[in-house]
Amino acid sequence: MRSRTTDPLHRTDPIYAAIFVIPTLAVIAFIAFWPLGQTFYNSLFKFALMYPQNKIFVGLSNYGRLLQDSRFLNDLWNTIRFSIWSVGLETLLGMFVALMLNRKFKLRGLVRAAVLIPWAIPTVVSSQMWRWMYNDNYGIVNNILLSLHIVKNPVVWLAFPSTSMPAIISVDIWKTTPFMILLILAGLQMIPGELYEAARIDGANAWQRFWSITFPLIRPTLGIALIFRTLDAMRVFDIVYVMTKGAANTETISVYNQWTLFTKGFIAPYFGYGSSMSVMIFLIISIFAFFYVKTMKIKLD
Amino acid sequence: MKRSIILTLALISILVFSSFAATLVMTAGAVGREYVVLQQQIKVFEAQNPGIKVVLMPMPNSSTDRYNLYVTYLSAGMPQPDILMLDVIWPPAFANFLVNLNPYFSKDDLNDFFQGAVNADTYNGKLVAAPWFIDAGLLYYRKDLLKKYGFEPPKTWAELIHEAQVISAKEGIKGFVWQGASYEGLTCDFMEYVHSYGGAILNEKGQVVSDSAMVKKSLQTMVDMIYKYKISPVGVTTYMEEGTRHIFQNGDAVFMRNWPYAWPLLNGKDSKVAGKVGVEPLPEGTGFANVRHSATLGGWQLGINKNSEHVKDAVKLIKFLLSPEQEAYKAIHAGQNPSRLSVYNNPAVIKANPFYKSLWSVFQNAEPRPKSPIYPQISRILFTNVNKALTKQLTVDQAVANITSQLKDLLGQ
Repeated sequence: MRSRTTDPLHRTDPIYAAIFVIPTLAVIAFIAFWPLGQTFYNSLFKFALMYPQNKIFVGLSNYGRLLQDSRFLNDLWNTIRFSIWSVGLETLLGMFVALMLNRKFKLRGLVRAAVLIPWAIPTVVSSQMWRWMYNDNYGIVNNILLSLHIVKNPVVWLAFPSTSMPAIISVDIWKTTPFMILLILAGLQMIPGELYEAARIDGANAWQRFWSITFPLIRPTLGIALIFRTLDAMRVFDIVYVMTKGAANTETISVYNQWTLFTKGFIAPYFGYGSSMSVMIFLIISIFAFFYVKTMKIKLD
Repeated sequence: MKRSIILTLALISILVFSSFAATLVMTAGAVGREYVVLQQQIKVFEAQNPGIKVVLMPMPNSSTDRYNLYVTYLSAGMPQPDILMLDVIWPPAFANFLVNLNPYFSKDDLNDFFQGAVNADTYNGKLVAAPWFIDAGLLYYRKDLLKKYGFEPPKTWAELIHEAQVISAKEGIKGFVWQGASYEGLTCDFMEYVHSYGGAILNEKGQVVSDSAMVKKSLQTMVDMIYKYKISPVGVTTYMEEGTRHIFQNGDAVFMRNWPYAWPLLNGKDSKVAGKVGVEPLPEGTGFANVRHSATLGGWQLGINKNSEHVKDAVKLIKFLLSPEQEAYKAIHAGQNPSRLSVYNNPAVIKANPFYKSLWSVFQNAEPRPKSPIYPQISRILFTNVNKALTKQLTVDQAVANITSQLKDLLGQ
């Protein structure tokens, strides 16, 4: 310790360290913790956005009411269904395509770039585009199904619970699989080729090579990708809002939250209740993140 | 895509222009031709008032989305937008954020406006907005097809169903398209059926009276049009105004329920049904007392943001847009019904929209939706349950029972 402090190049000066770290912490506190704290503070009151002076302190009772709100519980289940299906299929598809794109073939660069296109389109635009593609009269999806004689009458995808959730999930899969591909591909490229050579010499087949080399080595990347995607999926708003506005039992917790905060909480005393819902969504997502970090053994430091 | 570019440009120009003195920011709709027409009007206004610049902010088509945007602007206490285009059902909710316009309009002047709209804009004795144009639900029909099969325009829902069934089967097109998606427009459509059968959701004292045979019959009629008579495609449960207009304008439907804005578009150069369209009042119900032809009162108002820094200039612009000449221009080019009674005597307006004269009583008697600051919540109970019945998630009886119990819950009855 002493030798370090006397050496001017390696001296650790807590004061300098603090000076350099404080701006970063201040920015994080300002953009992340302050709004979160404010939301939590709001969630302890009963008030309308229009009458902020009429705040009544109600403690944690908003949270109690939330757990008895059947619409919230139903929407939570919708959100979980959406997340499991979309993230699950995106991961499988993403892995599959990434493994293919990791091989050497002609025009690989071009294909890799092309794969990213759905992800580059703003979600609101692609949701609107898909809404038209699902249209029962002029939509291309029905057009194809009718001309292939798979269906007799056009399917109104976004009208019924049985078809609208799968329709929305497939849009998310179409849109976000490229993100998965990108991350997994990055993980695959970090695996040294010698490992595969050695495995081949030892007589391991493709399946064994995947499970003994590829999978363990991309697991941390996969874990990060899953955290990103699950967090995104749990707070899905834009696709649902544009495509169905929550009709046909597709409402997710974020869509309900938006309605509570804006439409209802503007004039009726539900802004605090809406804030408690926002905090709850944050907590639920944190639980998922924690679960991933533990099971995937990701080192965050 | 195009609209988001326009919106971005508008926002940038707001930032640029706000450094100068009198720049008015005004929200504007972009359904049909209204946005282009308004741009022309603004050009004239700016030429007449060299000191004032006007920046238009196009708003989303869905009324529900606009409401959410206004909540953001107004609750943040922003001075802009200065002028807000408000749906006829919003003045009670936004009253506290709007300038009282009473001092700027004389009694005589106000008497020239549709009284239903003036009532909707008056809250707690204050005129918080001024009526800009009137909307009423109308029945559009294919004149050529009705003539071909020897039918008269339908007077009752039963006649409409019969005519639609016959013609759509022979022509291989859809019978009747209307707004059935889960949003505000469905509340408007539903209220027309309820009133046409002589029913009501809230009575004059504001009590919930939706548990009635008339309301059940209304909803049953809507459901049967889709599944029993098959005159409406299942897709109506996802259509808003423009979705239905595209089908009708493409020649793919015999009847359509829509607002007056569709008229100039249906008769435009790119329309497949130009000159073949007629307009009538919506049919009435049968089998109950008090059955009538009913149209929901719609329309848009202009209000001034209380925090605006240019209230005087904003009043100038509103008065300009509500002047008889400008209302006539708007009626002729955008098909939006003037809010002033005197404009209906203008021959040029009647020539462009002949149905203004024949359907005068429809506009005059258009029925308002409940007037309440929590209207959006009332409406949501109606349109979600009706949409669930239309998509067979609920039976008609269950949906009506839900509406009744949820409304009683909301209104504390």
